Amino acid sequence: MSLLTVSNLTKRYSRGGKTLAAVDDVSFHMEPGETLALAGPSGSGKSTIARLVLRLIEPDGGRIEFEGDDFLTLRGAPLRARRGRLQMVFQDPLAAFNPRATVARVLDDPLRIHGVASRSERPRRIAALLERVGLAADLAPRAIHEISGGQRQRVAIARAIATKPSLIVLDEAVSALDVSVRGQILSLLLDLQRQERIAYLFISHDLGVVRAVAHRVILLDAGQIAESGDARAVIDAPQSAIGKALVAAAPKLNRNRP
Amino acid sequence: MTVLASIRDLAVTYRRDGSEVAALRNINLDIIAGERLAIIGESGSGKSTLALAIAGLLPQSARTEGSIEWISQPLSGAKAPPSVLPDISPSRGEIGSSAAGSFQPTSAPTSSAIGESGNRRTISPLEGEMSGRTEGGLVGRRGQESASKPNHNLLLGRDIGFVFQDPSASLDPVMAIGKQIAEVVHTHLGLDWRQSFAKAITLLERVRLPDPDSALHAFPHQLSGGQKQRVAIAAAIAAGPKLLIADEATSALDTIVQAEIVALIRRLVAEDGMTLLFISHDIALAAELAERIAVFRHGELIELGGTGQIVNAPTQAYTRALLDAHIGLDAAPLLNRNGLNA
Repeated sequence: MSLLTVSNLTKRYSRGGKTLAAVDDVSFHMEPGETLALAGPSGSGKSTIARLVLRLIEPDGGRIEFEGDDFLTLRGAPLRARRGRLQMVFQDPLAAFNPRATVARVLDDPLRIHGVASRSERPRRIAALLERVGLAADLAPRAIHEISGGQRQRVAIARAIATKPSLIVLDEAVSALDVSVRGQILSLLLDLQRQERIAYLFISHDLGVVRAVAHRVILLDAGQIAESGDARAVIDAPQSAIGKALVAAAPKLNRNRP
Repeated sequence: MTVLASIRDLAVTYRRDGSEVAALRNINLDIIAGERLAIIGESGSGKSTLALAIAGLLPQSARTEGSIEWISQPLSGAKAPPSVLPDISPSRGEIGSSAAGSFQPTSAPTSSAIGESGNRRTISPLEGEMSGRTEGGLVGRRGQESASKPNHNLLLGRDIGFVFQDPSASLDPVMAIGKQIAEVVHTHLGLDWRQSFAKAITLLERVRLPDPDSALHAFPHQLSGGQKQRVAIAAAIAAGPKLLIADEATSALDTIVQAEIVALIRRLVAEDGMTLLFISHDIALAAELAERIAVFRHGELIELGGTGQIVNAPTQAYTRALLDAHIGLDAAPLLNRNGLNA
């Protein structure tokens, strides 16, 4: 059984009297423990798909099946229960977190809301989560705005894994990081995936990163799937016009390797 | 070879919550007229502070030391390549300590003040000794320029064009884009408004904005991110600046638009003979555009060289680490593909 099956997903926006399909009849599926990348230019619909899958917005048409449930019809308690299995990490954790919160508070919330651990147990769980993402436990009382961008993204990942998700949506999650930090965060994500069998819906405009971390890729253009397949095969020999344009535009470092 | 700007012992300190943060330390750099120079670094490296310092845009609260000299005449008898860094690698420790010393206002005996640094400095007889590399003619010219023009003697808008990362923040949201460009022309070139608007149309054509005549009356929110950046570039080059500074000007754009904007900047710089200062966190992007690359880290210039040398034979471990961290289309996969079905 697939982890996630998206069928004929459609989302339209009206702008200036005209109707625009941000996502136009998109279908795909994901297996447990798999990284599927969504790549494409601005406005291609990749972030809209992410928000639809997370049910942050509702589609105009189509179906989303998550862990065997018709995810779009879930309401109330069953929906809340499922939400813990479907997590997210965004590009800018500073914008995603309550800026007045401490690290401990950010991690305490999901443990409490999803009933993962009792009040007395939670400090220990928070320490374990911090250790799991490579942070010292004494970071817990620090304010979110005090820690570095890389540390903050690790906290965002710790928050996401707190509820033991089977799928994490990573929307440009490493795009704003310094390159030296980016590699560490990608390694952490791949470690977690190996150990916990988490699937990633990996949204990125960076084809180099997609090729390095994703099993499969979907290239989007104007809300539609232009091309999909094995990430390395697609990026090494793109067939679609948008695929060719994306590959041609990617900055290349022409190093003379020994 | 003509030096456009000579940066000597530049230090910038920000005051924040009562404490001082050194954003730049001990920067010595010559910008060569007509070159495409990239400034590369991660967050906190000081690369944007350098751009702001050169443009005279530092906030009032910033304290600057050292000098930025604008040199319009060719350097006669300049023998050495103007931008070598003979004193960096072997003695980083020494540099650090001498930089710390130079934060004392008394030990900044350089000539013209930069931007808004406030305290006007006198020319010290020690200058030649302090910088250790000035040649006779240059010192004379420095003295002259700083005597006649104590402040920034290149004017932002006229002599320096600046393109910021976010065109939505740098363009006026309630002014038609044609007016915004014409205003630069009117202010700096002294043309009347009719001529200024005609020039604005030409500029919109030059930045390849579709249908320039009607685009003149468009507002920023009606344009895409890439189109807005084209408008910002048109405004930046409107007065025919000598120096174009692009500070992460393509970082908020998607890859395809980024490539288009980089191509546009390259073409405009070549057509107008401008000098380009391209500030970026992306070493691969910088290497595609620049002839020389300066690598900044923690407020210091740690390596400077031709693009080929920096990319293929970096001398600093940090530069190598930056190059290795680039994940290109030919990078070894990080993903263990056996993991999926394990």
